[in-house]
Amino acid sequence: MLEAKNILKTFHSEGVVTHALTGVDLTVNPGEFVSIVGRSGSGKTTFLNVLSTLLAPDSGEILYGGEDVTSFSAARLNQLRQKDFSVVFQFHYLLPYLSARENVLLPYMRGLAPVSKDAKLRADACLERVGLAGKGSKIPGHLSGGEQQRVAIARALVKESTVLFADEPTGNLDRETGESVMELLADLKNDGLSIVMVTHDDEYAARADRVIRMADGAVV
Amino acid sequence: MNILTIPLRNTRKKWVKTLLLLVVFSLGVTSIVSLNYVSSVVGESLEKKLTAFGANILVMPKSEKLTVSYGGFSMGDMLLGVTDLSESEVMNKVTSIELKDRIAVVAPKLVAMAQVDGATVGVVGVRWEKEKTLKGYWALNGEYPTTPDGVVVGSKAAARLNLKQGDSLELGGAPVTVSGILFPTGSDDDSVIFAGMDFAQATFGTPDRVNFVEVAALCAGCPIEDIVHQLQEALPDTEIQALQSIVKQRMYSVNFVKQLILTVSIIILFIACCMVGVTMLSSVNERIKEIGLMRSLGFSRKGIFGIFCFEAMIIGIGAGAIGYLGGFALSLEVLKILDMAEDTTLSFNGGDMALTCLFIVGVSVLSAFFPAWKASSIEPSEALISL
Ligand SMILES: Nc1ncnc2c1ncn2[C@@H]1O[C@H](COP(=O)(O)OP(=O)(O)OP(=O)(O)O)[C@@H](O)[C@H]1O
Ligand SMILES: [Mg+2]
Repeated sequence: MLEAKNILKTFHSEGVVTHALTGVDLTVNPGEFVSIVGRSGSGKTTFLNVLSTLLAPDSGEILYGGEDVTSFSAARLNQLRQKDFSVVFQFHYLLPYLSARENVLLPYMRGLAPVSKDAKLRADACLERVGLAGKGSKIPGHLSGGEQQRVAIARALVKESTVLFADEPTGNLDRETGESVMELLADLKNDGLSIVMVTHDDEYAARADRVIRMADGAVV
Repeated sequence: MNILTIPLRNTRKKWVKTLLLLVVFSLGVTSIVSLNYVSSVVGESLEKKLTAFGANILVMPKSEKLTVSYGGFSMGDMLLGVTDLSESEVMNKVTSIELKDRIAVVAPKLVAMAQVDGATVGVVGVRWEKEKTLKGYWALNGEYPTTPDGVVVGSKAAARLNLKQGDSLELGGAPVTVSGILFPTGSDDDSVIFAGMDFAQATFGTPDRVNFVEVAALCAGCPIEDIVHQLQEALPDTEIQALQSIVKQRMYSVNFVKQLILTVSIIILFIACCMVGVTMLSSVNERIKEIGLMRSLGFSRKGIFGIFCFEAMIIGIGAGAIGYLGGFALSLEVLKILDMAEDTTLSFNGGDMALTCLFIVGVSVLSAFFPAWKASSIEPSEALISL
């Protein structure tokens, strides 16, 4: 369903050339939970960003539903990000001036059309699912770190996408909160969501269907 | 809830910043609005006062000069085709041209020579009402004539002929009474005797005949050439002469003030624009991660661009409305201080306010274009890792 073929990415910054990805291949099947591990600087984040269309690779293909997304127009990329692909980052990136519920609804505030009733109901359901029922009106500053991350996950869930990309979603959380996030991901996988998760935690990584190990910009 | 919720909430959350920006921008608009209102009122009255310095257009009969010489011996100039003007015709035509609103006064003149006690003196027939308006600088020892046989004598002529107020004399065989002596004006007016037009026409010429007509036009806002052109078309058989130097000087003083105010307004507006631009730019840098996140959720570039433009629009609407009201109130105060509150036509105008708001919104949004464009061109992954 999602297939990366021979992805190359090199960064040039301030005269330093970094070969971040040196020909990475990966196939993610529908409903599969894949975790990516590796040393710091091995290219995990870069790869996840390329997979989720947030970063254009230098060469290589990313096939989704049989089409190469690297050749998509800006409009089609926006569509893909709106619906099919969801990303959860290590940091929550909640907008500080919107309430938790509004943050969850952010994907639906793209245009001038008002957010639908249906979306609002779904947002409440997602908040409940991440264990934040009744906290929707709080602003991010009044939530704990774990709660903030769960709002961010709810924001990814509300779109009912097919693939969830997560870059160290438990990185900023304590063991217990991290555990609850992992349980949530396992739950979502059981609902049929494909998940690609980058983590430093071997134990969490082991809960995935498959563990990919990266080193020096390549899968080993 | 839609995309506009984002800029609205951000503006509300950062209300101190918004308020500061609004205050500065509004003050700018206030000064621009009041400067322009005050200058237009002051300019108008200045224009009125400037007409007090006399005519700026002359209407004369057409004449051709022929130099006569015989065998190399010059016999002087001969004026051909000098005819007088018909007073009623000229008055009618002048007051019916397209730019008639710009004409302040039309003063006809009949010039004649008369003997007083063996001395020759120039007599000028005038219409008192017109002449008083045209020569607002005139001051009399005595008063303007109220009877047809009253005359006003220039200061030099009075000294030469030994005349004073109340004296009787004969002009062209008709008895007249001196009702006033002009204070020295430094012009030709000092050496002549002014008589009522009807008296002059009856004594020295034929009824309805005049020699030339002086016209005072208000010309700060309109080109004098147009008035001259229109007069020429209305009166094809006459010669219209614009006293350019006077006109230019008048226009210069009024235009100078207007230009100065325009320049100051532009500078103020420019500073306000820079403020909005800089604030927006820092806002974009501060919110770069938010932008990256929204892009990762499928927000289009146009959408991001719109968010920042809308924030500038909110500021613009606020600054435009507050600034206009403030400027209007300030103008009234300033005019009161300048003692011009009575002769102003300044009244609150909703259309002006809407126009001001629209203009300020446009300027504000324009100032936010670069920051907004910068925000919209950020790549999502770069935005998210940036510090
Ligand atoms: N925008 C960039 N410009 C320049 N170099 C970059 C950029 N992003 C990543 N790199 C470099 O590419 C390499 C891979 O980075 P990446 O962030 O993918 O590592 P990672 O495996 O996610 O590391 P970590 O586990 O610490 O998050 C690193 O050497 C990094 O310095
Ligand atoms: Mg990383």
